[in-house]
Amino acid sequence: MDFRNIPPVKEQIMKCVRCGKCRSVCPVFAEIRNETAAPRGHVFMVQMLRDGVVEPNNEIYERLANCLMCETCSINCPSGIDIHELNAAARSYIYENNPSLGKELIFDTLWTKPGLLKTSTKLMWGAQKTGLQPLARRTGLTRLLPGDLGKAEQILSSVPARSARSQLKNKYKAQGEKKYTVGYFLGCGTDLLNPGVALATVDVLTRNGCEVIIPPETKCCGLPHIANGKLETARLLAIHNIKIFNMYDFDYIITDCASCSSALSRKNMEFLLGGLKIEDEAKLFADKVMDLTKFLIEIIDIKIPENGYNEKIKVTYHDPCHLANAQGIKSEPRELLKRIPGVTLIEMSDANRCCGGSGTYVLTHYDLSMKILDKKMDSIMETGAEKIATCCPSCIMQLKHGTKRHNYKSEVVHPIELISQAYNKPILKK
Amino acid sequence: MDKKQVKKELTNLLGSKKVLTNEIDLMYYSYDSSFLTKLKPVPPTAVVFPKSTEDVQKVMAFAYNHEINVIPRGAGTGETGGCVAINDGIVLDLSTFDEIVEIDVSNMQVIVRPGIVHAQLNKELAKYNLFFPPDPGSSQMCTVGGMVANNASGLRAVKYGCTEQYVLGLEVVLPNGDVITTGGVKSKAIKNVSGLNLTKLMVGSEGILGVVTKIRLRCWPKPKARGIAMAVFDNLDDAPATVLEVYKAGILPSGIEILDSSAIEAVNQFKPDINLPNAEAILLFEVDGNPPSVEYEGTTIKEIAEKRARMVEWATDPKRMAELWEGRSVTAAAAARVRPDGSRIFAGEDISVPLSKVADTLRAIRKLGEKYGIKVVNYGHIGDGNVHTAPVINPENPEEVEKVKQLVHEIHLLAIEMEGTTTGEHGVGVVRREYAEVEHGLAHQYMKKIKNVFDPKGIMNPDKLI
Repeated sequence: MDFRNIPPVKEQIMKCVRCGKCRSVCPVFAEIRNETAAPRGHVFMVQMLRDGVVEPNNEIYERLANCLMCETCSINCPSGIDIHELNAAARSYIYENNPSLGKELIFDTLWTKPGLLKTSTKLMWGAQKTGLQPLARRTGLTRLLPGDLGKAEQILSSVPARSARSQLKNKYKAQGEKKYTVGYFLGCGTDLLNPGVALATVDVLTRNGCEVIIPPETKCCGLPHIANGKLETARLLAIHNIKIFNMYDFDYIITDCASCSSALSRKNMEFLLGGLKIEDEAKLFADKVMDLTKFLIEIIDIKIPENGYNEKIKVTYHDPCHLANAQGIKSEPRELLKRIPGVTLIEMSDANRCCGGSGTYVLTHYDLSMKILDKKMDSIMETGAEKIATCCPSCIMQLKHGTKRHNYKSEVVHPIELISQAYNKPILKK
Repeated sequence: MDKKQVKKELTNLLGSKKVLTNEIDLMYYSYDSSFLTKLKPVPPTAVVFPKSTEDVQKVMAFAYNHEINVIPRGAGTGETGGCVAINDGIVLDLSTFDEIVEIDVSNMQVIVRPGIVHAQLNKELAKYNLFFPPDPGSSQMCTVGGMVANNASGLRAVKYGCTEQYVLGLEVVLPNGDVITTGGVKSKAIKNVSGLNLTKLMVGSEGILGVVTKIRLRCWPKPKARGIAMAVFDNLDDAPATVLEVYKAGILPSGIEILDSSAIEAVNQFKPDINLPNAEAILLFEVDGNPPSVEYEGTTIKEIAEKRARMVEWATDPKRMAELWEGRSVTAAAAARVRPDGSRIFAGEDISVPLSKVADTLRAIRKLGEKYGIKVVNYGHIGDGNVHTAPVINPENPEEVEKVKQLVHEIHLLAIEMEGTTTGEHGVGVVRREYAEVEHGLAHQYMKKIKNVFDPKGIMNPDKLI
């Protein structure tokens, strides 16, 4: 699709009055503090690109890519501009004009083929277990990785041995009376980095009358591709997933990953596929998609039994940007936590401030990401919470890194793991 | 000196971390919030981020010797092109020179560097039950330095006035590198009539006389209570008449805001949940102080407004107050959304007229909008006659742009005809400079002479304000 015809580029650029409201809320701007990092600056630069004042080159890409895609600017924009979409569209336009081998390998090859992605994760696990990773660090091999990847590889320090997929069947019957047939969209982050979350999700859903089907052909939701200038690949992934999930007769399509649920949302489908033939089919699909936390509160109205779970714990909750900003889901995860017997929810200050992880941002902008993380950790540590709950694999990874970095003894969990534990039954095994 | 050399010398003077010279980086400093720079952004030769008075001195001395223009900038939220290097030069981005030097609670004052953001300052002052009262709509992002340069005010100017009333003294770096302290070199006095009042001269001078590097501000005790009254009118003239009667009753609300029918329509389209009653005008009164006086003033306003209004509501419950005030707080954003393929623009947005002429002015602006076929949304601080007009156009349609330029010109002439001014609080910058002579007559010549005393080489934010 021509960059200039993408809806936000066509319709929204002119609406920016450069009022600067976005400057006051952007976590990246708060660190860099010059106009090149201001979201309105990104809008301005996208306009310059559109008008041909600047060339679509790497210099512009670097500046636009210094953005977390956290959408804080977009939800605060008085003129209603989807700044993150403009930015993504521009990155993709530049990328199309400047393909790079590294990105082709990562985003077109690895991240579109679940098997290959799994193999690379396994290799990483193997490297950690065999001690090759420290060797690579000592010899400086990791410095050869692009951008800040050399520094950032330490945040991937605990890749589990087995993926969720390898532990799960494709279909689970509802326990008791079946109320809903649910398609579980198992995202890459949950599958490969937090398999326990997937097991807990299936456990809690089946306990609550859901037949759970996990389509084996599911591919990545496409969000990493949107953020990395690969809009066309993201479109292909979206179309693939739509076709797969629409083959079933699901009542709901559920995901426990904030990034996946935002990538599969109607709003994002309109951004990716608006004006294309598949748009209606995409909307049908997107209208069934619901984040797990919202589903458990709004549709299931979950009741969690008191039996056998007496531990009193203080939990604080971090809002993932893709849940709070992109979808306005803030109360549901909190309500879920409050329903868990023994849990006391302690609000941190600025709970909806980005943790700086943002998927691949921490890999490409490690130092800046750490500054943003440190602010988040200050808020967390003030609460004294024993567990930090959040609903996004990227946030979980980043916050785990934060607890190590600050030597703060607290476990980072998805709320669904606490719920599954509260049911006090053995976690589901294949 | 050629641009390349300027960049090199500045980097040598201050170090590369404090200077931007890359052509693409500089493009980000080619705009503020004005319609002028939206149409025609102009990048500077370099951007400098001073962290001390000495840094500013170094830049000024260098610029003075080589006759290079210097343009001070805060957060770039102004609406006049005032902080943009329209005729080339070095932009001084003062937004990171932002320390609170001292909160002097016992003397009810605070000393700050220019880059501190207004809302952040008040957040700190609140810890001592103090506040810096002027409250621009851009409080979350604008710098106090920018407020001083533009003599900014806001919703509560009715009772609390403008920035100038709170500035006790300034440290200013002059174009030749001299540093002066206005309001007394060592003074911490609140009242001070010694000498010519250079503080008042500097406040609102839009950076054409020097660079403000330190600000001594008077703070006030934070009021304990607040209440909001909303009055709905079927006749536009009844709104200013009610305001006048409230004043006559000896009541000075902290804010009095008006939404005319165009703004009511815009708010309801933008957020139907707010559901403002359809009317010719809605007035929102805010009163603050101690609880008994707030209650007395609120109920008195209600009694007065009921004589003319179709409906009046008085609230002190925080939730209800927020609901009533929401209509006003979203107006600026709502204006942008009345036309799906359009944008509000910041031009002709800040006229100020005598209270007795507010209704006639609003009617005249509506007629001008009709004349040019442009949707215009009106709202503003009626308590001091300050009308914010938001023309909504497609800024990428050249025909509409030409038409709106004419409309804006006529709005400015209208303000002068109504015995008002082209700007109540946003400033002149580039966009209203053409009216300076008409507005000020012979005094304009003396303004130029004063400028010449401070800036004989004409390097200090030239071609702005006067």
